[in-house]
Amino acid sequence: MVVYSFYIFDRHAECIYNRRWVPRPSSMIGKSSRPTSETSTTTNTLPPVLGHSARTTDDDAKLIFGTVFSLRNMVRKLGGEDDSFVTYRTSQYKLHYYETPTNIKFVMLTDLKSPSMRVALQQIYINLYVEYVVKNPLSPVEHPGGVGVNNELFEESLEQFVTRVLS
Amino acid sequence: MTVFSLIIINKAGGLVYQREFQPGLRKLSTNDYLVLAGTFHGVHAITRSITPKLPLSTASTAATTPTSSNMPPTPGIPNSFTPGSAFTFPNPGTPATGLECLETDKFRLTCFQTLTGTKFLLFTDPIMGNIDVVMKKVYELYADYVMKNPFYQLEMPVRCEAFDRHLGGWLRGRT
Amino acid sequence: MAHPPRHSAMLSLSNSGSSANSDKQQPPQQIQHIANTGLRVPSNRKTIYDRHLNRSRNAEISRSSFAFLFGEMVTYAQRRVTGIQDLEKRLNEQGYPMGLRLLDLLYYRTITSSTSSSLASSSTSTAPPNRPLRILPLLHLIHGPLWRLLFNRPADALEHSVSPDTPNEYMITDNDPLVNAYVSVPKEMHMLNCAAFVAGIIEGVCDGCGFEAKVTAHNQPTELWPGRTIFLVRFGESVMEREKVLERAGIK
Repeated sequence: MVVYSFYIFDRHAECIYNRRWVPRPSSMIGKSSRPTSETSTTTNTLPPVLGHSARTTDDDAKLIFGTVFSLRNMVRKLGGEDDSFVTYRTSQYKLHYYETPTNIKFVMLTDLKSPSMRVALQQIYINLYVEYVVKNPLSPVEHPGGVGVNNELFEESLEQFVTRVLS
Repeated sequence: MTVFSLIIINKAGGLVYQREFQPGLRKLSTNDYLVLAGTFHGVHAITRSITPKLPLSTASTAATTPTSSNMPPTPGIPNSFTPGSAFTFPNPGTPATGLECLETDKFRLTCFQTLTGTKFLLFTDPIMGNIDVVMKKVYELYADYVMKNPFYQLEMPVRCEAFDRHLGGWLRGRT
Repeated sequence: MAHPPRHSAMLSLSNSGSSANSDKQQPPQQIQHIANTGLRVPSNRKTIYDRHLNRSRNAEISRSSFAFLFGEMVTYAQRRVTGIQDLEKRLNEQGYPMGLRLLDLLYYRTITSSTSSSLASSSTSTAPPNRPLRILPLLHLIHGPLWRLLFNRPADALEHSVSPDTPNEYMITDNDPLVNAYVSVPKEMHMLNCAAFVAGIIEGVCDGCGFEAKVTAHNQPTELWPGRTIFLVRFGESVMEREKVLERAGIK
């Protein structure tokens, strides 16, 4: 199973955290987001070239938010207020979605072979986000201007969770 | 097995057919269905564009170059030859599609896009299998009773009594 | 050559240096032939007119091709029509010449098949069928052989009008007409039946046999057969008078 990327959106539709396990040419990394981590197999062997379609990580996050937001509303309209959208897949990837009662949205993109990640996203929320971000007295309550989750403990444990538990 | 409803969206994102077979989903107004069709059309395109792109490491580029250099670039499949766009999709060889299947607690939405751009959306029970068979039959009936109907105008709402009849009859026969 | 065929003109364009040469290389008769007829002739010079008439006897065409062709015929007939009756009249007119021609093919095939079978069996050979003189043999010809030639099965019913006012009316029923298989008529045109085309064919056959008649198609849906169609055959006055004379003369 491969995890491609992971996003957290707060209740103001702001992307407060994103991380990808798919390195991009370094010029394409957005300025305000946290530096993305590279997996051990594909290190920085690629030269920093300009991508022909220079869509940044920021743009990706916006597109993903738009997608899950629209789908969530569509599902609620059809299935009722208590229905929630869990996952969708295309021919290339799967997107998993989990929304907390406080309107924080967790999104994860994986390959097609992965099982349902609903529990995993819930665990990330309960065991990592609540523990290391919410309970951290230094962490800001809101993230205006996209400061984002800038928290070493959270990042390290997320890295461990994804690389050890999920794969 | 339960098929809740079927929606057909034309290639411009307009709703051309909507029919409920079994209760289970909330009923929307005609206007809401039109909005839903348009929204889905847009989301479908976005889901294709956010496909993760895996950069090719130098080793794998060298391995794929001899084969790909002889072939013309195929649309939908990234050509690994151009520097700067050295990436591949997770499933190389399969063209990237938009959303194909969406699951929620209460229903499963399966989307099939024909080569001509028409989208068929089937809303079914989440535990139901063999949706491919249903989808194939829906497409077949559409090709027969909608496209062969001399009174059907392309891209316009489907009002073909024979299509309704055969679709309803076939689904009833399966339950 | 006043009008050189298009392909030779293109040829001379593509290699302008040796245009005189390329013109000489073309066999002149063939060019003449193409330029005169405007028909595309296969290389072996065999058009469908050169084939034996019985060759396509058991051949079938794809239902889809027919459906698309018929769909376009209906669309074509729909242009500049004033109403449903006008549209049905046009469809009828499209079928009429087909009926006239089909009659000849039908006779030809029944005769050749019966002679060939009599040659094979060499026993009591049935005489080749004659042209129907009375109404009933004609209707049986339509109900059976014509329907089999067109749709590979006989029609579903043949009835005579029970009303004493209209003894000249006969009804042929088809439970599921092939032409209507994929047709859904819009609600505002619910009186229309595209089998008016088939009605035109029947009319052509009747006329070809010397029976003046008007044939119309009517919807008669039932629970089981939503596409059931009745072809109403109305024979003219002259036919009914002749029928009486023939009856008295005892001709069947």
